[in-house]
Amino acid sequence: MNWERLNLSPRITAALQKGNLNSAKELLGLSVLELQALTHLSTSDVQQLRRAAARLYCGAAPVRTALDVRNSEPGEKLSLACPLLDALLHGGLPLCGITELSGESGAGKTQLGLQLCLSVQYPAEWGGLGSGAVYICTEDAFPIKRLRQLITQQPRLRPDIPQALVHSIRFSDNIYIEHTADLGALQSCIAQRVPVLLSRGLVRLVVIDSIAALFRSEFQADESMERARHLLALSGTLHHLSHSHKVPVFCINQVTDVIDSPNPGRCEFGLVESRILPALGLAWANQVMVRLMLWRLEGTVSDGDQSCAPRRLEVVFAPHLPQASCLCGVWLEGVRGIPDVVREDPGASTLTEALCRPVERDPEQKDGSMVS
Amino acid sequence: VSCISPQRVMLRTVASSSLAPSVKAKLIRAGFCSVADLQELRPGQLSKEVGVSQEEAAEILKTLHTDALPVNDGGLVARGVTALELLQREQAQGSIVTFCSALDSALGGGVPVGKTMEVCGPPGVGKTQLCIQLAVDVQIPMCFGGLKGQSLYIDTEGSFMVERVVDVARAAVEHCSLLAEDAGNRRKAMKEFTVEKILSCLFLMRCHDYVKLLAQSYLLPSFLSEHPEVRLIVIDSIAYPFRRDFEDFSHRTRLLNALAQHLNQLATQHNVAIVLTNQMTTKVWNGQSKMVPALGESWGHAAAQRLILYWEGARSSCSMTVTDKVRERERERENRECSEPRPNKWLVELEESFCPHLTCVLLYRLAVLSKSSRPDGGHCCHTRSLWSAHTPTP
Repeated sequence: MNWERLNLSPRITAALQKGNLNSAKELLGLSVLELQALTHLSTSDVQQLRRAAARLYCGAAPVRTALDVRNSEPGEKLSLACPLLDALLHGGLPLCGITELSGESGAGKTQLGLQLCLSVQYPAEWGGLGSGAVYICTEDAFPIKRLRQLITQQPRLRPDIPQALVHSIRFSDNIYIEHTADLGALQSCIAQRVPVLLSRGLVRLVVIDSIAALFRSEFQADESMERARHLLALSGTLHHLSHSHKVPVFCINQVTDVIDSPNPGRCEFGLVESRILPALGLAWANQVMVRLMLWRLEGTVSDGDQSCAPRRLEVVFAPHLPQASCLCGVWLEGVRGIPDVVREDPGASTLTEALCRPVERDPEQKDGSMVS
Repeated sequence: VSCISPQRVMLRTVASSSLAPSVKAKLIRAGFCSVADLQELRPGQLSKEVGVSQEEAAEILKTLHTDALPVNDGGLVARGVTALELLQREQAQGSIVTFCSALDSALGGGVPVGKTMEVCGPPGVGKTQLCIQLAVDVQIPMCFGGLKGQSLYIDTEGSFMVERVVDVARAAVEHCSLLAEDAGNRRKAMKEFTVEKILSCLFLMRCHDYVKLLAQSYLLPSFLSEHPEVRLIVIDSIAYPFRRDFEDFSHRTRLLNALAQHLNQLATQHNVAIVLTNQMTTKVWNGQSKMVPALGESWGHAAAQRLILYWEGARSSCSMTVTDKVRERERERENRECSEPRPNKWLVELEESFCPHLTCVLLYRLAVLSKSSRPDGGHCCHTRSLWSAHTPTP
């Protein structure tokens, strides 16, 4: 580091060299007293030095206003490939930050993850980002059969897009699948292999299915400090990836049962009477920007010759969205929202009630859930 | 070397000056205990007495001279002020309204200018929403009871969404225009109070690690001198960069304490409100777990006011139908309006104008833990204004 660039008096530059301070970053991380001990300079000298280093570190770019930001970053989003779901999320997933989707097993989380991997490959005018996706599996094997099915059904899911365009994209060539069986493998995958894919422009979506599985299997109940530390490190890497490459990071999460009475130490995110909460607790929740939940409801809905269990996709929190939800179903061609017409039909009031109530299941039958 | 002003340095000891520690030791060893002893000396004499070079001696005298210059603290130290003067000054500075009368009355009229405030809460409770709301509210024209200031938003979590600012700004403009009615000066003020104008008066800095945040904080004094209309600085959040990358927690505490002191100083010197958000963490104590603000005990002393947001019976479970929810909110609103004191006329006007546009209402319990002006207490309030922008107007 060449301190001459700071235009400080030679006395201060000499003191810096004597104090063995080599970078502005190192200097800024020290308190005044630590700096004085190293350089033997007076307080005012140290403050002047710190200001100069700060100016060097932050660069000369003027401070931007919200208006500049709005004009230069036109609210790009990644579409979920369904107008109703996109409306719920104001256009889709934001490009910066971690979006989490949690829900019980069988709610349809993986389905949505796969759908995003296809949706990202369309050009921007159709809600995509014109690039591939990396799908990191930590639980089961990648559902390759289902992916093939979804690819063949794309024309049906996206009737608005010209068929020639849909057929011209080689979907399965642009999905990079990683299996990571332990935390170390996951860390090295997102710290080394994923950045390579991102910097080559091969990928503009990172899906992790699921984030909870490894943390739940590798740590004992009394290792919560250690677990929190690893969670922070992992989320830090994801955060950095997302912001430096402008890619959405979509993390699928499991849920945990609520078995005890209200507890002041438990954060409920406003889901007061809910039987389940997203797994991994407060440490992880602090790192998430958009939290979504998917609930499987009672009853069936049908569309043509297909029928499925209704689901509810809910926004738990997000900096730009109100808390709201939307009904959806998992069909052969993918996840699609169900319009709210049922409610207006007076004869269907019982169905509406059924649609609004989550399925009551025996807690012991639930897989992937753990006592909180 | 010019003379050091006598009345300010008379009592100052060499040990308390801002000289480097090694120099202080040399001076004291040579018998100079108070700064006054050095007053009449020339660099040549000093260098002989203490055994330093001529240049170093000149530097020592210069440093002592800068020490003696009056600090820009609003004249608090220089001559002392009476309590009455302080009160008047505080009232003249005003405060930033939150658009939520219960919260405003809890804070004594809004977020105070010239002080620091910390907002803590679990994820999703509305910390960022409150910050964005304040960044817009600080720009409300004077004739509506606002400050007509500018704001600086330092985003460390990456959760600042311009899209949301546009929503909030649009709602604020809409509601002020409802109040403008016939009053001439208000109509005139409304011409300048537009969404574009609000966005152009909101400065944004993004910091992704603590070093960048510290660097920006050292540059704030010059930023504030260049933009004297800034009345609010938001740091959302202080916890995010400081809760990672630290192995040595005592180092973190030292940096945080210094930062807190620096921010408090900025708030008084430049007459700005500084709002910091903080995350929550679980503390296990005697086998019981409890949610407490993060960054440790000593950080609890950092800000003049600390606001903790909790949920109180927020939403009912997702099985409740929409109509029921609406009815329940209706009931809650009636109850609240009967018991709530009405602090200020223009605010009440605003409150009423929000009611018809209400979609998503949460109930928060706001526990105001304040060191400065308010007693402790819990308050119930809605954050409807925060969400009113999402409402389809009937």
